[in-house]
Amino acid sequence: MRLEALDDRGERAGPVHRLDARSKLLFAVAFVIAVVATPIGQWRILGCLGFLLALLVGISGASVRSLLLRWAGFAVLVSLLAVMVAPGLPARAQHGLGTVILSIVAKNSLAFLMMLVLAKVTSWRDLLQAMLRLGVPRVLVATLQFMERYLHVLGDELARMSLARRARSFRRGSILSWRLLTGMLGMLLLRSFDRAERVHSAMIARGWDGTFHSLD
Amino acid sequence: MHIPDAVLDPRVAAITGVMGAAGLYYGLKAVEGQLKERTTSLMGMMSAFIFAAQMVNFPVGPGVSGHLLGGVLAGVMLGPWAGAVVIAAVLIVQCFLFGDGGLTALGANFVNMGLIGSVVGYAIHAPIRRWIGGQRGILIAAMIAAWFTVLLAAGACAVELSASGHRQDFFRILSWMALVHAVIGLGEAMITGLVVRFILLTRPDLIDQDPPRGLEPVVAGGNPSRRWLPTILSGLGVALGVAVFLSPLASELPDGLEFVGQKIGVLADGSPSSPIPVPMPDYQLPLPRLEHVKAATAVAGLVGTLVVFAVSWGLGRAFVTAGPRSERVTTDAA
Repeated sequence: MRLEALDDRGERAGPVHRLDARSKLLFAVAFVIAVVATPIGQWRILGCLGFLLALLVGISGASVRSLLLRWAGFAVLVSLLAVMVAPGLPARAQHGLGTVILSIVAKNSLAFLMMLVLAKVTSWRDLLQAMLRLGVPRVLVATLQFMERYLHVLGDELARMSLARRARSFRRGSILSWRLLTGMLGMLLLRSFDRAERVHSAMIARGWDGTFHSLD
Repeated sequence: MHIPDAVLDPRVAAITGVMGAAGLYYGLKAVEGQLKERTTSLMGMMSAFIFAAQMVNFPVGPGVSGHLLGGVLAGVMLGPWAGAVVIAAVLIVQCFLFGDGGLTALGANFVNMGLIGSVVGYAIHAPIRRWIGGQRGILIAAMIAAWFTVLLAAGACAVELSASGHRQDFFRILSWMALVHAVIGLGEAMITGLVVRFILLTRPDLIDQDPPRGLEPVVAGGNPSRRWLPTILSGLGVALGVAVFLSPLASELPDGLEFVGQKIGVLADGSPSSPIPVPMPDYQLPLPRLEHVKAATAVAGLVGTLVVFAVSWGLGRAFVTAGPRSERVTTDAA
């Protein structure tokens, strides 16, 4: 399941893993903004940024294969979107349609890979702490922290329900499976509600005051 | 629906980023004011639920499957702003952990899926629900809202994608987006409707009351008839905001396509509104004519609306035959 991507980090601690999360976050944001703001057709700037990214991937020790695999699936979608958007862009008059499409795809790839690298070298907890210190509202950060914690729990719950459903039903006609699947979602929704209530009571009992405390 | 990085014009990304941040800030304040210290657990858990629910794939046809987007479902269960906050949390996790949706497009994605999906969705939901009344009203209103929010989000997406281009491009992109999303919207309406129906049949107390359960503490004393008016106004505000803030960009560059045409000497005598019958392979993509797409889009929109209404009416029959219990709950709610 996609959730595996959440567990995939922090084990292979390299030099970039140990850097302060705030600087990594700011660097990634600055990099993405620089990439996006680069005018179409400025291949030299994009090349420099790409070189920087490659250097970063090399130092961080992120698996190039998994990055490229993730990118390849995504690039197809972006290309389609670029083909749809590019004919209307004013820059087309200067550079021609092909260059515009290629620049959009290249710029997107750089930004996309940067975000993946950031996620690979920074744990979600560190990233949230960094956001908090950089001024993102406390409620939002706490909610995101809570959400990540219970993503796994609800994911497991969903897997159990799906196993139970498969164990009890013989065939999957399309109409039948729509009703079964929505029933499953509805059940998961009810259980999430109840779980939120129970967890909240438990948190209150332990002196919850609206923030997660951290040792870093 | 997730717009990736570098596809939007940087100015559009900046404007929608500001709009999204303002909307999220307001939403957080509103939710925190109502839920107090329950915000984190309820919002966090519901975000995790929507995220998990998006992983359940529904078979649509051979090799094609769709999944829930969840804006309207979250809005109906929790209230408009809480729903928007939930979607924001989902989008942030998707952006930072999976690269789904660009960092610079986060604002645009939140405007499309969170503000339009939940706040505008609730603004559509509330009056229809009140008008039809009862549990059946809740179901039908939820399905219609789900259908329209997907179309509206596609429209907003088209505005954002084409904001730096020519008006002709807006119609071209809008037509394609709307055509594709007419199908996606049907799926969203079906899934939302079936889930809401399940909840209404098992735990009607969760959504049957007017202030959604998570928001009881503050609104319990208010006048129920006035509660949905601010929602409708804020929904309209979001829709107008997209149009007002982004339209100057389009008119600033009045004739992108015509300019190109003159530049490469194709459109020398053509009027800008002509459908450009040019045999140049580089000039027009080998797609069906725009008129056909427009017509197909209009038909899809009409048929979709009728189908959604008919199906939701049919699904709602469960509550009419359920007998006196649903009647009693209805009068309590009203």
